[in-house]
Amino acid sequence: MALLVLPALGTAGVKRSTNEENGLKKWHFTDSIIAIELVQRLPDQTRALLMNHNFSREVIEQMALSCMFQTIIRNTGESSGDNRLSIDLSDWRMQFAGKEGPVMMKEPLLDSWSDTDADAAARLVVRWGMFPSQQDYQPGDYNWGLTAYGIPPGSRFDLQVTWQENGVLHQGTIKNIECAPDVDKLK
Amino acid sequence: MPGLPARLPVPVWLLILLLAGCAVCGHARAEQTLTPVPGKVLAPDFTLIDTNGKQHRLSDYRGKPVIINFWTTWCPPCREELPSMNRAWHTIREEGVVMLAINMGEDEDTIFIFSADYPTDFPILMDQSGEVIEQWPVKGLPTTYVVAPDGRIAYRAIGSREWDDAGLLDKIRALRQ
Repeated sequence: MALLVLPALGTAGVKRSTNEENGLKKWHFTDSIIAIELVQRLPDQTRALLMNHNFSREVIEQMALSCMFQTIIRNTGESSGDNRLSIDLSDWRMQFAGKEGPVMMKEPLLDSWSDTDADAAARLVVRWGMFPSQQDYQPGDYNWGLTAYGIPPGSRFDLQVTWQENGVLHQGTIKNIECAPDVDKLK
Repeated sequence: MPGLPARLPVPVWLLILLLAGCAVCGHARAEQTLTPVPGKVLAPDFTLIDTNGKQHRLSDYRGKPVIINFWTTWCPPCREELPSMNRAWHTIREEGVVMLAINMGEDEDTIFIFSADYPTDFPILMDQSGEVIEQWPVKGLPTTYVVAPDGRIAYRAIGSREWDDAGLLDKIRALRQ
């Protein structure tokens, strides 16, 4: 089915800010009924989470070094109107080092691990800790979770985000997003 | 698992800080919405033990509205809504409304330690294997459903809410037979 793609115009905006307490940077994208928030996540934050569960050292490092962001997507539409928002992360594209590619999805990631890489309880942390791949949001709904981009700490990239409003596809771009540095780059 | 113990003594409060990054802090409160679930979608039945060892079967609560909240201790918005859920529980517990919070994937000790910082008085059920949550149409945490007295799913809320909001509770009260 061919869908009309509408670029974000007029109401779209991106604000970048830095948390003065922890130094983590945040990108806040808004358009008509959508708000997307990406907050840097230090590799050590991911290590701390995963070390509390049965993951192999290799998987912990794989995840820690995959440029993760705490991500929140919210339907900001009025509940009085027909404002259904749909997100499919497999449609999102990132531009890094002159190439375009997809964002990391949790399903193939989980499929790639053996039982020694992650036991059943550990898999639940990733299954429910990473951002839902596809989801519909009614006004007032929001979800949170980790998104991962699979590039080295400290890298910069552009992210083309897409969403549907009542079946109409929209897109916008968040430019110059920075992956959090690893601990050896922190002052 | 080579080289890694099953559980490291990382304090819960530290994990909470690390996970949250205050990502959801300071968000202006929006309208407290419950999305009606169209049709007659029957709530999947379950039997789970709560943290006090009491068994709960959803179908035993037929005849009453049941609020079912799926959560974990490491989910920032889950923690955000627990205090308002507890306030709501004290408001509606004598009004024939049931509230069950289903913890996904964690054990009793983890929940017990967590409850020192986030005390709750309503039942916390444990779905340690994640089998129950997989039976429900949950995509992310927290997700809350309101089951009508006839067993159908009446409402859904994705993300946290202020559960003691009067308008929100009135919608749930209106389901009573």
